[in-house]
Amino acid sequence: MKKGLTVLLIVAAVVLGIFLWVKGAYNKMVTADEGVQAAWAQVENVYQRRADLIPNLVATVKGYAQHESETLENVVAARAKATQTLVDPSDLSEEAIARFNEAQGELSSALGRLLMIQENYPDLKANQNFSELQAQLEGTENRIATERMKFNETARAYNTLIRKFPDNIIASMFGFEKKGYFEAQAGAETAPKVEF
Amino acid sequence: MKRLITMVAGLSLILSLALSLAPSAFAIPGRPSPARLVNDLAGTFSSRQAEELERVLVAFDDSTSNQIAVVTVRDLEGYEPSEYATRIGLDWGVGSEKFDNGIVILVKPKDRTAGKVFIAVGYGLEGAIPDAYAKRIINEVMIPHFMNEDYYGGVTEACKVLMKLASGEISELREDEFDEEDAGAIAAGILMLLIIVFVLVILSKAGGPGSDSGPGSGRGRTIYTGPIITTGRPYSGWGSSGGSFGGGFGGGFGGFGGGSFGGGGAGGSW
Repeated sequence: MKKGLTVLLIVAAVVLGIFLWVKGAYNKMVTADEGVQAAWAQVENVYQRRADLIPNLVATVKGYAQHESETLENVVAARAKATQTLVDPSDLSEEAIARFNEAQGELSSALGRLLMIQENYPDLKANQNFSELQAQLEGTENRIATERMKFNETARAYNTLIRKFPDNIIASMFGFEKKGYFEAQAGAETAPKVEF
Repeated sequence: MKRLITMVAGLSLILSLALSLAPSAFAIPGRPSPARLVNDLAGTFSSRQAEELERVLVAFDDSTSNQIAVVTVRDLEGYEPSEYATRIGLDWGVGSEKFDNGIVILVKPKDRTAGKVFIAVGYGLEGAIPDAYAKRIINEVMIPHFMNEDYYGGVTEACKVLMKLASGEISELREDEFDEEDAGAIAAGILMLLIIVFVLVILSKAGGPGSDSGPGSGRGRTIYTGPIITTGRPYSGWGSSGGSFGGGFGGGFGGFGGGSFGGGGAGGSW
């Protein structure tokens, strides 16, 4: 009788221990997952900020450089594609982020070409509105770089958390997936540089 | 088999070494200790100039809670000034956590390579100091001074403008953070005291005559007059430190608050 009670107590202690461990690990993962999603929201914000600048920029350039319709159209098309490439924040897999990164990268290079043509149009280069827009674009590229970096750091912390033993058992049990990172695209992702 | 194990162990050692080295590959200067707002790593200011600037910036931090950190470096180690300045802001936590109201002024003096300057603006001040304003401060205030090698003049003039802009947005008197804690500690002390008194009273009553509770309760009284004096002490300490803050002399910088940066601000080169 007494032996039965001891066994029961031990079983109860073990069950409680497992419960507390699962609870602690699970809640930590939920917090980390929320952190990654918040960082992703910031990334989307700054990219949206850039997309919002483009119509103005295109309109300004159009007034000075009618012959560059192809470059302009490329920017408009790349912007449309980039804003349509949405990522579900609950599925930040490597593929989803790579797709997003690629679409935004195309827009970056199209923008870079657009900014390059100012060399051929002194009037455009001297335009106050244009230089203001360019400064804003530069600030936005800085913000994009910062938020991408922050996202990568948050995602790295999350990935480390879910892959460490023994918490990885709980991660796979509850379906916590590895998050992707932003990889620098050769040339495409660096901010368009205009040297004077 | 044994060789395989050593190989695996060696490989994992190399890998872990590489991983542990990875963060430090980013050569951002570490958070200064003791914390300072003026970090003249390039040695462009005289020590008196650095002290004077530090004093002004600490006073500004005390009166408005906005933190402006000035950093000069000889070499950006290949990083963009924007990235370097934002990193410093993030790593050091310039500005308060509540308002994210930090500013980092990064100056790389001109030597054989071009001079670079960047003003990184914390999240909370992006409204008060838009990129265009930061750009204008750099082009119209800082670079003209820098071209004459007057780094101190350029930085102080820029700080004046930035202080005006920042205090328009956030102007909270920095409260001594330990005030509240002290008040809490005092309240807790009083509560403890009451409980001790209560327990002693109960004990002395329960002890009853016959036992030697008389001297015991007497000792209890001497114990509880002690804590009153000790709880009284923090008041005088806080008062004197408050005085030195008010005087603005040698108050010292209270440390970075953990503000965050999102890449706002602007840069320039000459």
